[in-house]
Amino acid sequence: MPSNRMENHLLGALSEAECERLRPHLEAVDMPLGEVVYESGGSLDYVYFPVTSIVSLLYVLENGSSAEIAVVGNDGVVGISIFMGGESTPSRAVVQSAGRALRLAAPVMKAEFTRGGSMQHLMLRYTQALITQMAQTAVCNRHHSVDQQLCRWLLLSLDRLSTPQLSMTQELIANMLGVRREGVTEAAGKLQKAGVISYRRGQIKVLDRARLEGMSCECYEVVRRETMRLLAPTAPG
Amino acid sequence: MPARGAPLPVTNRLLDRLGARDRAHVLAAGERVELLFPDVLAEPGSVMPHVYFPLASFISMVAPMGGKSNLEVALAGNEGFYGLGVAMGVPVSPVHAIVQGSGPAIRIAAGAFGRELARMPRLRACIHRYTYVVMSQLIRAAGCNRFHVVEQRLARWLLMTADRAHSASFHMTHDFLAYMLGVRREGVTKAATALQQRRLIRYARGAMMILDRAGLERASCACYRSDLAMYARAFD
Repeated sequence: MPSNRMENHLLGALSEAECERLRPHLEAVDMPLGEVVYESGGSLDYVYFPVTSIVSLLYVLENGSSAEIAVVGNDGVVGISIFMGGESTPSRAVVQSAGRALRLAAPVMKAEFTRGGSMQHLMLRYTQALITQMAQTAVCNRHHSVDQQLCRWLLLSLDRLSTPQLSMTQELIANMLGVRREGVTEAAGKLQKAGVISYRRGQIKVLDRARLEGMSCECYEVVRRETMRLLAPTAPG
Repeated sequence: MPARGAPLPVTNRLLDRLGARDRAHVLAAGERVELLFPDVLAEPGSVMPHVYFPLASFISMVAPMGGKSNLEVALAGNEGFYGLGVAMGVPVSPVHAIVQGSGPAIRIAAGAFGRELARMPRLRACIHRYTYVVMSQLIRAAGCNRFHVVEQRLARWLLMTADRAHSASFHMTHDFLAYMLGVRREGVTKAATALQQRRLIRYARGAMMILDRAGLERASCACYRSDLAMYARAFD
């Protein structure tokens, strides 16, 4: 297994025996910005454990409208349908922040999950955290302003990166939030004016995280808490 | 909706998928209870002491928003169960769980359910697959809530409710509809009036009756059909 396995929290929480077993199968891959990891309704050959990359899961409606429903970084795994028994993926997965990931072929993942052990335990807990994030995002999309959603989105992204800086175009953000580009320009402009972020040439830098949290809706906190609960050392229910 | 104590018209479709022996074990681990509208089974952040397999009842999961806005994110009737968190090993509810349709359910204590899951691969596979279904429906619902008009969403929601109530008529206030759909009361009134004018439903004093099911399906967005198809694909 590559030495950076600890940089994905789920892999880092596996037992030594599990790591030994998976080591020869884990493959480090580059995740370029904007790459489609899989399409909605497509089949899955691999699960991806992001290390320095962030992957967005998006819903896609019949008419092509889409928006982000969850964000997965080094806290999670992309491709849970493989072990939950679904034959295709319910969402589109797109790389939202370039970086690396470790991937595991579907049959290897399935076999490890079926063994029980901490892999199964972790994957199920992660699934629950992901469901919570999706439910929260659904309500957030419905009820919160673009300003609040942008703050939530920036915070969730930052938590999954090692620097306070994000490479991102307004167009990509607009696609993620399912709003028009002008809406993002306006919201980002307000944050910049308030000195909370700086934004130039596709680089977003957070200058005042506390205020960014204050300006976000409560959805950020709900998702953050759920993600922390996931890896908390409590007895399984 | 079935009267209390009436013979069961339905069983739980997830439990039906287990073999007779496994099903008997699961049933023996729980008890039959009557769920009543609008009982609250869980609040966000509360521990879930039980899981429920609805028979004729159905349970609505509503995501909290602080303040008055809410949104129904999932609905579990006899095609599913309530208690994903318990099955996933995080027995803490992320949502409000409210009994939306009165009726019987099989209730199993979280600990006992965990033991059954651990020793029954078939139950486990079934629950995992259902979790995948719920997640897929949740993803679709997010898009639907965002992009489809209230009239389509109302039609969809009425169909989903009728399926789980096993009846074309049920009781439903405007306020409750608004709460579930996450829209203003006036929005619901307008959409319901439009469906009524097209003779698809009759709605008076909280009594909702579906008059033309095929027409209501056409008035709904494609999400209703897509959800049914997805469930069928996952389990057939």
